[in-house]
Amino acid sequence: MELITGGAFQGKTAFAKENFDISDADIFVCEKNSAPEFDKKCISHIEKFSFWCIEHGIEPADYFFEHAENIEEKIIISDDISCGVVPINKTERAWREANGRLLIKLSEKSEHVYRIFCGLSQRLK
Amino acid sequence: MKIFISGGAKNGKSMFAQKCAKKLAEEGHLWYLATMEPRDDEDFARVARHRNERAGWGFKTAEWGRNIALHSEETDCKGTYLVDSVTALLSNEMFCGMSGSINKNAPAKVAAELIDFSEKAANVVFVSDNIFCDAAFYDEWTDSYRVGLAFVDKALAEKCDVVIEFSYGQIIYYKGEELL
Repeated sequence: MELITGGAFQGKTAFAKENFDISDADIFVCEKNSAPEFDKKCISHIEKFSFWCIEHGIEPADYFFEHAENIEEKIIISDDISCGVVPINKTERAWREANGRLLIKLSEKSEHVYRIFCGLSQRLK
Repeated sequence: MKIFISGGAKNGKSMFAQKCAKKLAEEGHLWYLATMEPRDDEDFARVARHRNERAGWGFKTAEWGRNIALHSEETDCKGTYLVDSVTALLSNEMFCGMSGSINKNAPAKVAAELIDFSEKAANVVFVSDNIFCDAAFYDEWTDSYRVGLAFVDKALAEKCDVVIEFSYGQIIYYKGEELL
């Protein structure tokens, strides 16, 4: 598994396409309002999947590891949502924490972890 | 030399940027290009604090709140220029006037003008802000600004010789560590 994180709009998807030989057809983009599909090679905006989980009373990490197959071949992309002010809204607070728990597990299981900043990458693992 | 510095608020970016600019300038002119257009007491207090922090460093201050291409005709480009900040400059260009309208061409304009200026100038140090890592959903207005700033940051980072993220006084190099 490859994990790519970093701030919003920093060029994470462009980095994935450039480095892992994938195109838009290989990418599933998660939504806040619908259940995810994990069959594609690359799953992006996994933080939105985390939000969907919170709204349905599910722990994102549990759901992901129960439902995703061939995890070792996946490329996962998440916005880093960990650095702002603690959200006033309870759902958003729970979301921020649950996404953090998910990313720690994904990071642990990933072969490489990258952080993208202004279009440039840094390998953390 | 072109240096791009970003990071969270109150992480030490501006002070480090000043040191870089001072070192690069050596004997040449050292310019502080102030991009914030102060509007209220809070802004004026911030400007005064920044001026105090720069006192005795040898900076000449120029207020370039927008239209970098026009302003750059005022200088011979031979000096070292600290642009603080890209964030304020884009905000001025994007949200001009009281109508509440957004200038959607502002990010492309700001990026092109800053890159053009940096290629003519002897040295430029850019300071921007990492506003991209929080857990919040924004209105379209704010999000268009975030997309715009990310566009300008990425364009500058691509052209700069050194790219740095600041984290609580610590430096993370993405490019050009050997040049400083």
